Amino acid sequence: MVVPTAEPSDKALAAQAAAGDDSAFETIVERYQGRVFRLACRLTSDTDAPDVLQETFLQVHRHLASFRGDSQFSTWLYRIATNAALMHRRARQRRPGSSLEDFLPRFDSCGTHVATPAELQVASRADELLDRQFLAERAREALAQLPDLYRDAFVLRDLEEMSTADVARTLGVESATVRQRVHRARLMLRGYLSDLVGVKP
Amino acid sequence: MNPIVCATGVDLLMDYLEGVISPDVQAALDEHVAGCARCAAFVASYRETPRILRDATATSLPADVEASLRAFLRSRTTAFRSR
Repeated sequence: MVVPTAEPSDKALAAQAAAGDDSAFETIVERYQGRVFRLACRLTSDTDAPDVLQETFLQVHRHLASFRGDSQFSTWLYRIATNAALMHRRARQRRPGSSLEDFLPRFDSCGTHVATPAELQVASRADELLDRQFLAERAREALAQLPDLYRDAFVLRDLEEMSTADVARTLGVESATVRQRVHRARLMLRGYLSDLVGVKP
Repeated sequence: MNPIVCATGVDLLMDYLEGVISPDVQAALDEHVAGCARCAAFVASYRETPRILRDATATSLPADVEASLRAFLRSRTTAFRSR
């Protein structure tokens, strides 16, 4: 059934843009610019994100002809955006080390949580207990403090909500590796949120 | 299989939530969490962490960044010439 009012699909736009249709490319940019910018902020910084955004769409324009249509267009574009962000980040010297290890959960010699249930629960209310702007700033800092490998997996899997399999393909690692990295990031960030509201993780 | 304690439960939590562990380990974890207030609280906060970070980092595209992107693509491609 043809739905005449429907928006053109990504694949149709990609094919038109690859054939030299500028307006199709412009529609792709309009459709994805917000998501790519948000991804770039999460993987790099607010300062670097505009450059990553530009580089991403330049690469998309150059490589549209190589989009085969055997994967989702969004997955293909996200892979380009992720690579642009990682290249950009690699070009910048990051300060080494991370203090987020301090926020991992603690266990006694029997393997039981040291913290009480109330203390363990409180991180789940961080957004109710903290000022919105304060939390937004601390969240950006926390992402920047994560080890890069954990950050990349966490951003794509949990913030951009890609499937574990798509994250694995994008980063070129096994799904089990993605799960392990996302898990470590969640543990650190959970403890970080707990610390923000004044409770030892 | 060794009995589940909080620490092993935490190690297995991501795999548990993604459903990639064996049914008997899954059952053992369910049993531990059902009887452990600490783990129940921990799992709740672990599950909320992605959402809180997602909401806190949900930036929108500033108008000046969008304008710079247009200008950049105009200078490097034939797109955005007529807008």
